[in-house]
Amino acid sequence: MKLLLIEDEPALSETIEKYFTGDGGLCEVCTNVSSAIEKISLYEYDCILLDIGLPDGDGFAVMEYLQSSGKNECVLIISARNSLDDKIKGLNLGADDYITKPFHLAELKARLMAIFRRKAFGSSNVLNYDQISVDLLGRTVHVNDKPTILTKKEYDMLLYFIANKGRVVSKNAIAEHLWGDEMDMIDSFDFIYTHIKNLRKKLFELSGKDFFATIYGVGYKFS
Amino acid sequence: MKLAAHYNRASIIISVSVLMISGIIYYLVINHIARQQLDSDLVEELEEVVAYVSLNHHLPKPVDFDEDVTTFVKTGRTNFNTVFFDTPYHNPKEIKSEEGRAIAGLVKANGQNYIVTIVESRENTEYLIQIITGVTLILTAILLSVLIVTNRLVLSGLWRPFYSIVEQVKWFNVADKHKVEPVEARADEFKDLSDAIVKMSSRVSGEYQGLKAFTENASHEMMTPLAIITSKLDMLIQDETLNPEQFNQISDIYSAASRLSRLNQSLMLLMKIDNNLLKDAEKVSVRTVILEKAQQFNEMMQNKNIELEYKLDDLEVTASKYLIDVLIGNLFSNAIRHNKNPGKIKITLLGNKLTFKNTGDALELDRETIFERFYKGRTSEGSGLGLAIMKNICTLYNCEIAYTLTEGMHCFSISFNQPLI
Repeated sequence: MKLLLIEDEPALSETIEKYFTGDGGLCEVCTNVSSAIEKISLYEYDCILLDIGLPDGDGFAVMEYLQSSGKNECVLIISARNSLDDKIKGLNLGADDYITKPFHLAELKARLMAIFRRKAFGSSNVLNYDQISVDLLGRTVHVNDKPTILTKKEYDMLLYFIANKGRVVSKNAIAEHLWGDEMDMIDSFDFIYTHIKNLRKKLFELSGKDFFATIYGVGYKFS
Repeated sequence: MKLAAHYNRASIIISVSVLMISGIIYYLVINHIARQQLDSDLVEELEEVVAYVSLNHHLPKPVDFDEDVTTFVKTGRTNFNTVFFDTPYHNPKEIKSEEGRAIAGLVKANGQNYIVTIVESRENTEYLIQIITGVTLILTAILLSVLIVTNRLVLSGLWRPFYSIVEQVKWFNVADKHKVEPVEARADEFKDLSDAIVKMSSRVSGEYQGLKAFTENASHEMMTPLAIITSKLDMLIQDETLNPEQFNQISDIYSAASRLSRLNQSLMLLMKIDNNLLKDAEKVSVRTVILEKAQQFNEMMQNKNIELEYKLDDLEVTASKYLIDVLIGNLFSNAIRHNKNPGKIKITLLGNKLTFKNTGDALELDRETIFERFYKGRTSEGSGLGLAIMKNICTLYNCEIAYTLTEGMHCFSISFNQPLI
């Protein structure tokens, strides 16, 4: 996947770049509207990660350029403003999703993969990883061609982990992904443990493989 | 008492007393002048009598002196100083007694000395004084009534700008875009007052807007560093050479960072509610939202063995769906967080009244302070903003929110007002 990251905060862009290039993806970085437009006009990208607050104008200008030049890249907007107006404006200008700072890299990746899949594969949307195949439209999961019934949370979690395969994902990131605003409950980590345990068991029963590794107290790794 | 009434009272008291004093002085002066006039008349009469006697060498008959009563008394005294005195006057025609003024002097006729006394009626001068007094009183009354009426008319006209300024100040709301309008006034003082208030209110509004913008910007500016912290942590845990102790510390940093970002988000939400920035009002079924949230929180309730009971009427309100979500979500999250294990939650939605009851610590919370920002129970793990947010949402939509402890259950009730806009 070829990605263009438009972000003026070097500390942030560096980390995102590192996280996304890890598994063979390509990530280019630029820091302002004019260089972003230049890059978009010259090269093709699969996805664009766009920060709204840029030094030489707001990121909506990039959206307008994309729209006027008929480009069809997936766009994920990053914003420090949790504002409905910005969100609506961005989506109206053709953005595929909107994420508010601060975010977990795992969440960013999962969202980006989701919009990329939607655009790249259209309606026949089957996601394969190792022995696991996920029918994204029917929301069904087969392991070794045998169906397995997952709860909604387990299904969400599986997609989340497949998007972040080979990466350590923190419990905080998982909790925020699964429960969003309601996760400020001290015991949400226990739920994660329960869900992972169940998912692990279901996958293990059909594949004979343990996909999950527990990384001390901090999180899990799917591979 | 109104200023105009104070002013009226003072001006009436002063004018009445000034008029009374001047009336008395007036009376005394007139009286004095009248008496002097009378006395000089009497002197003239006496001189006439003396002239008559020296011409005719006999005493005049009493009739010769029209209205005056003249008496002659023989005396052996050869010198007598002329004196004036007050004495009753017997009117010979009307046979009645009146106030009178008399003069007594010495007259010599045919070698005999007489003391002549001439008494003149003071009725005429009394009458004059009465008329003068009457006229004065009438003038006083007219003056007073004119004073009262003009005071009332002029003052109320003069004070009208003042009342309109007061009215505007009363309705002045610093968060409101509505400005205080300058008031047209004839009196310079009120013009000054109006100008000063217009200036003050615009300065206050300006500073409030500045503060608001500052808070908002500060909150937003915090998000990027937080994003850096979070993403750096996400990157850091990819390093498999870290030891468990380090992972534990990272875990704590994660928790602190996410607490900070939630706190920040809550503050921004409060600000949005305060400034009524969420204007996406639509028809929202409170019942549906409750059922959705019950589903979302199901896991947490099961985990704490909380039994949920509900009895819900259908209620539709016009409000921001997001805010109603937040409101119901906070009610649930409070009821779960402060519950016992095992515990109970009872939700009723009857008419427009929504009640959340939950078992928990038997101690009653302080009704006055629980809705304040950063109020926290002793054991609360929350941000301390949840109830403040609920309160602000209710205030925004003119709903009442109340807390009671009944039958050992903490009870939050909200009365929705229709229409909610």
